[in-house]
Amino acid sequence: MLDPAKEFKEHMWPYEVDHRGAEEGGAAYFGKGKSFGYFTTTSGGWQLDGEPYTVGEGSEFQWFRSRIIGGRTNHYGRMSFRFSDYDFKPYDRDGLGTNWPISYQDIAPYYAKAEAFIGVTGSKEGIRSAPDGVFHEPPPPKAHEILIKKACERMGIPCIPNRRAVITRELNGRPPCHYCGQCGRGCLTASNYSSSQVQIFPAMKTGKLKIVDMAMAREVLTDRNGKVVGVSYIDKRTREEKHIRCRAVILSASACESARILLNSKSKSFPNGVANGSGVVGRFLMDTVGFGLSGHVPALEGLPHYDTDGFGGAHLYMPWWLWEKHNQIGFPRGYHIEIGGGYGMPGIGSFNRQARKFGYGKSLKEGVRKEYGTHVGFAGRGEMIPNNHSYCEIDPKVVDKWGIPVLRFHFKWTDYEWKQARHMERTFAEIIETMGGKVIGLSAAERERDGISVPGTIIHEVGTVRMGSDPRTSAVNGFCQAHEAKNLFVCDGGPFVSNPDKNPTLTINALTWRSCDYLAEEMRKGNV
Amino acid sequence: MSNTNEPLIQIGEVSRRDALRSIALAVTVVAGGQMKLEAAQQVHAHAREEKKSTGSYKRKLFTEHEFNTLGRLAELIVPADSVSGSARDAGAPEFIDLLASQNEDLGAIFTGGISWLDAEMRHRHSVPFLDAKAEQQTAMLDLLVDAEKTDRERALKGMTYESSEHYKDFQAYGIYAPSDLGPGVVFFDWARKMTVDAFYTSEIGIKDVDFRGNGSISKYEVPKEVIDYALKHSPFAG
Repeated sequence: MLDPAKEFKEHMWPYEVDHRGAEEGGAAYFGKGKSFGYFTTTSGGWQLDGEPYTVGEGSEFQWFRSRIIGGRTNHYGRMSFRFSDYDFKPYDRDGLGTNWPISYQDIAPYYAKAEAFIGVTGSKEGIRSAPDGVFHEPPPPKAHEILIKKACERMGIPCIPNRRAVITRELNGRPPCHYCGQCGRGCLTASNYSSSQVQIFPAMKTGKLKIVDMAMAREVLTDRNGKVVGVSYIDKRTREEKHIRCRAVILSASACESARILLNSKSKSFPNGVANGSGVVGRFLMDTVGFGLSGHVPALEGLPHYDTDGFGGAHLYMPWWLWEKHNQIGFPRGYHIEIGGGYGMPGIGSFNRQARKFGYGKSLKEGVRKEYGTHVGFAGRGEMIPNNHSYCEIDPKVVDKWGIPVLRFHFKWTDYEWKQARHMERTFAEIIETMGGKVIGLSAAERERDGISVPGTIIHEVGTVRMGSDPRTSAVNGFCQAHEAKNLFVCDGGPFVSNPDKNPTLTINALTWRSCDYLAEEMRKGNV
Repeated sequence: MSNTNEPLIQIGEVSRRDALRSIALAVTVVAGGQMKLEAAQQVHAHAREEKKSTGSYKRKLFTEHEFNTLGRLAELIVPADSVSGSARDAGAPEFIDLLASQNEDLGAIFTGGISWLDAEMRHRHSVPFLDAKAEQQTAMLDLLVDAEKTDRERALKGMTYESSEHYKDFQAYGIYAPSDLGPGVVFFDWARKMTVDAFYTSEIGIKDVDFRGNGSISKYEVPKEVIDYALKHSPFAG
């Protein structure tokens, strides 16, 4: 089980390990190192030994999985944005996709509860695309961010304090952030949010939660009458099949993994898999549209050096600003912009660019000094429209090493997403040039060489267990409760009907809280 | 290297004798123990190699010659200057030796690369890289860097972004189709990136770039002078 005290590498210098972060045999140089670098928190990867997934011909998709307590919340970016009122009714606005069965008013109280509990920074702005919440005080902007904000002001783009799940005052015994900027390594003081440290470990202390770790869920079990009665799983330590009987089952395995469990839960009552009478489980798979651009800013050359670590991410961000201008921009839906820059802790590969540019010797050494901290980066995170070419299904031929049939992915970006990515590109270039800078490259050239992120790589995959009020076109209702089984819930990104440009975790927290309140009430009433 | 206050060489370690012997004949000793600059540079380099190879670090994969060649390359790639020491001082040869000893592919890149470099230098100057004069060594590296730049420009022509005016300063990072110096370009790219990584992830390198973070503070603030400087130098001044 995850042990932060032993496993988190917060505050370690690269020279504290002989390989400096390149890992044994220089694995990082061959693209075989730990995802997001050696020093990041214990997590999973794009490929897991013995647990494959497949991708249909002509498609590209990458699936990040974390087989650990807290899953991907241990390493995620912690951007915490509320959906806007209009995000719940996308079909009403542009005739694309489907409306959610719930509205902003339904979820707003739960956004407030989630924010108050996990702790989110922010400021009151009154911007429709980015509803205000219950916020901790945000840290002040860094020097490069002040220039970015100035450029945005000229361009009419709002640039506001970032909303991240980091606390800047004490909360439920968690001390405030100490501004080392290393959230991705795991926070020893739990000053950032992860479900492991903020929800699961405290819940374990109540004595009412039992964790069965090293358990690979195979299927949801149903009785002869089609009632959900439990879950079967493989004990990874012994490879024995075991099961748990229970009154209610809540799947929070991540959107695609939950879909996989449902699709693999076939019985006479549920020939397509439990909760899949509609056939929508696995369909409507969405990721976030990603595109990044970086620039060199001469105004930052010669800047007196200072500590730019901050609270572990940019201190400002740009919410979507053109929600009333879709007729003019030529594509539906929007994106927000995330910022990079500052004097990062040197690590493996930090100065590759300068090494190439300056050759070697005195000019290289001086070039590194001159350019260090003078680059800014912009990452667009946008909404895709669900389409018929993007889905996951059970691969009929492949099982993992536990004998569980695996997922096969199909995915296509459409013109909507490509147009949006080109708009990001023009916008970022203009911001860089307005700051007096020059575009120097794609922020993640490996993945974004084609001008749009590889599907799955933004790790915002949602939609595969869609919610709706009509059991013929959705798997769960507005409370994430299966239409076909009252004691079965899916509480992750699966029930998302659309994937607005707001990173999904805060909304998953809010939806889950709402589902749990509902479930508790239903159990009290004897309905479950 | 012309700083006469710096001791050019300290005599006394018996273990260094063999390393010095090969160049002893080339050294002209003048009164006061000082040597001609070029010879001194080489003695200096060899003395350091000796220190590293006989220090606490035990070579794992490379021969003494290979290890010392990486040491010389490290000095050329990130040289010592008035601010900080060299990549050799920062342990670049040890870093590369350790990782290469754990990975056959990486090991082959370096043993093969050094051998290629020595063969190329023998063709040109009749001596292996390590024994060549400093200007012969840098001339070789200049050739490799120029070949790399030409290859890169050629490769970028085919890229999606080449047609956009925004990308005129685009610098992608990858290995490009080589010229007849290709093996050297590929090897030097590896030697350089690992040497640069070794330097900037060391205490010396982190201090060199004046990284101020990795702290633990109760309130985050940005100094006013920093903000003033950035604004003053930006298009938003005044």
